[in-house]
Amino acid sequence: MERRTDIGPPHYTKFLPPVIQKNYGKWKYHEGVRPGVMVHVAESGDKLYTIRAASPRLLSVQKIRQYCDLADKYCDGYLRFTSRNNVEFLTTKEENIEPLIAELEALGHPVGGVGRSISNIVHTQGWVHCHSAATDASGIVKSVMDDLIDYFTGKKEVPGKLRIALACCLNMCGAVHCSDIAILGIHRRPPKVMANLSQMCEIPNVVAACPTAAIRPAKVDGKDTVEIIEEQCMYCANCFSVCPALPMADAELDGVSIWVGGKVSNARSQPMFSKLAVPYLPNNPPRWPEVVQTVRKIVEIWVEHAEPDERMGEMIQRIGWPRFFRLAGIQFSKEHIDDYRYAALSLKRTAQLHQS
Amino acid sequence: MAEGKKYETPKLDELEKGAWPSFVKEIKAAAQKSPMAAALLGQLEQSYNEKIGHWKHGGIVGVVGYGGGVIGRYSDLGDKYPEVAHFHTIRINHPAGWFYTTEALRGLCDIWEEHGSGLTNMHGSTGDIIFLGTTTDQLEKVFSKLTALGFDLGGSGSDVRTPSCCNGMARCEWACYDTMKVCYNLTMAFQDEIHRPAFPYKFKMKMAGCPNDCVAAIARADLSIIGTWKDEIQQDDELIKKFADEGLDIQRQIVSRCPTRCMDWDGKKLTINNENCVKCMFCINSMPRALAPGKERGAMVLLGAKAPIVQGAQLSSVLIPFIDLEDEESWNDLKQLLENIWEVWCEEGKNRERVGEFALRVGFGNFLEAIGLEPTPEMVAYPRDNPYVFYQTAKKE
Amino acid sequence: MAEMTVEQLADAMYEMIKDAKGMKKYKATDLQKAMAERFGADKQACKQAIRLLMDSGRCIYTYFGGSYIEIPPDQPATP
Repeated sequence: MERRTDIGPPHYTKFLPPVIQKNYGKWKYHEGVRPGVMVHVAESGDKLYTIRAASPRLLSVQKIRQYCDLADKYCDGYLRFTSRNNVEFLTTKEENIEPLIAELEALGHPVGGVGRSISNIVHTQGWVHCHSAATDASGIVKSVMDDLIDYFTGKKEVPGKLRIALACCLNMCGAVHCSDIAILGIHRRPPKVMANLSQMCEIPNVVAACPTAAIRPAKVDGKDTVEIIEEQCMYCANCFSVCPALPMADAELDGVSIWVGGKVSNARSQPMFSKLAVPYLPNNPPRWPEVVQTVRKIVEIWVEHAEPDERMGEMIQRIGWPRFFRLAGIQFSKEHIDDYRYAALSLKRTAQLHQS
Repeated sequence: MAEGKKYETPKLDELEKGAWPSFVKEIKAAAQKSPMAAALLGQLEQSYNEKIGHWKHGGIVGVVGYGGGVIGRYSDLGDKYPEVAHFHTIRINHPAGWFYTTEALRGLCDIWEEHGSGLTNMHGSTGDIIFLGTTTDQLEKVFSKLTALGFDLGGSGSDVRTPSCCNGMARCEWACYDTMKVCYNLTMAFQDEIHRPAFPYKFKMKMAGCPNDCVAAIARADLSIIGTWKDEIQQDDELIKKFADEGLDIQRQIVSRCPTRCMDWDGKKLTINNENCVKCMFCINSMPRALAPGKERGAMVLLGAKAPIVQGAQLSSVLIPFIDLEDEESWNDLKQLLENIWEVWCEEGKNRERVGEFALRVGFGNFLEAIGLEPTPEMVAYPRDNPYVFYQTAKKE
Repeated sequence: MAEMTVEQLADAMYEMIKDAKGMKKYKATDLQKAMAERFGADKQACKQAIRLLMDSGRCIYTYFGGSYIEIPPDQPATP
């Protein structure tokens, strides 16, 4: 058989249900039907129901086949996944909604995450499959979402959308830096220089990899290597990405930081980066209770204080950071004050201040 | 495949409890058939005990001719868990919008059950279908079966990463352009750039149909294409009134929170001064059906978003304020613009320097000049407030 | 200077990679720039030459901290 290359992905039209093919670009409006379910109505009057179910993202082929069985039974063999890794079942038959939800729940996949709710946590690989992870991803996500499940399913109401993301190191393979709540794995010590570094890595590349010029060429026992100016290291691990002979991971010092108030949507306020709330929480597997409690506390502050459809970052801008830190019971520290490239922009450069 | 060795996993077993679906159950399900998945449980339990990861980055393995799509992964405990000593990732270019037929999904499952761990991510952070864990000798077999099924590998390394998009016109009335079509067409136009890395670093592209940006294009893509419109917000006064009658405080919740205060509500009628509207979507999100994006729809093209590594995180900024991507000429302009950007970046960019960092290093004005775009006020939040200007006239003397 | 064929460019690139083995790794753009400088080769021909090196298995892409073009590790230094 001839080897095929560069064929690209299958054309998407092959995978669109007939109702979508028919009404492509001609949808009129959508609305929530019940938590986790929405209906899209086309100009033609056709209706498409979407049932959104939780997914751990890490799926076995066995589970995907079970999804397929349900899609065959209720959705004429069509389904999709969302940008937040939920699974969506698409049907034109309203009567299919109830039995499908019952089967999904029996399978352990609660339905929710639509509209005003806390949706799935976008996350990375962690200890399951990543070489640079400072924490696990799936374990924290599971623990946090077990705790926040009522906000996903709609059992508890929330003022608007809240997006949580987790990245297991500063490479941030998820949109962590612009999330309402970001959980970020962190290293807290400089890399160790392995003895065989020069055999594994090009030294000029390693030196060039450091954004703070904390790495310089050196000779040890007559062999070329590098040395780390430790006080200049901010633990970004870019050098480790370039050179595996500079390991960063540390069982006791690695952990998690928590960031708040970012967003990507342009609705109302402009997209914002997440800001540091908690500089460090320990890795405490299997359930990371400190992380779970901190996230819950921040969520509860938002649920209590946000106006309808107000994002976390908008709420904090309104009430002020000092009040946010007081409400959250978080000690403000030196680590909270930026000292990198755009540090000056983050200082309070006005006399406008919430004084109470 | 035979059932693998069973490991005691008391810590992971804790994560089978609770209402959220459990990734541990997934690994255990795969372990019924795959010794690799069984060994993964053992190694992961050890990570949970030691609070440290046990994977090493590969850097060599792939399929013949491609430099992207496979990420070599090795256990540093290969003697203890030989089944996962080699445990490579395969990235498969997903169909635009992540729609599937069950037939296609079952085909993928069959391949992966036979040639890998049976574990997947649906999907990876960039959007690809991720096959987690196989050995080097299986890579060509998987590739050959994938292409027979009509799938191809996605990007990795210093190349165009797999483009991704929201479901756009397939299921959203707010889509201002056909995101799935643009995503697919860009993917097909740049197959070589996806599969054969030739850039200083990665280059991501994401298409969002409206400024709500459900795919985080503005935060995560070197090239972000975000739908918008030029004309007036479409409004249905009857339905607006209905929102008010049903209890929505339009003055407080909508009008007073509009970022440019471009609307008035007299208790009966909403008046929008569209000239001042910045197309943020807030009012439209709050009153779906009653309000909708205008009819003259298209997209903005923005450049440069990235996560912190190396020089700090960036959001994308405006390159083209408005483009009608249905128009053949605009589409060709967009492709030409990409070629120009890559040309300049490949010529001058440093290793591991994303295009957004590169543009700031050389000066955004110089970058625009090099890629052949005129500077316009839409590209800045405000003009410079520092007087250290590199005046061109002085240099020519 | 006579125009180089794609095969000749591939050979020249291969020599360059071989000579620097263990000291410096090249990216696709490094090879292309060198060929342009030495032989006036255009970008498209360089692309084809790299593809020839890859499809024949003489070179592979590696991806430690960026994508490079190298000679496969367990292969003799000459083809």
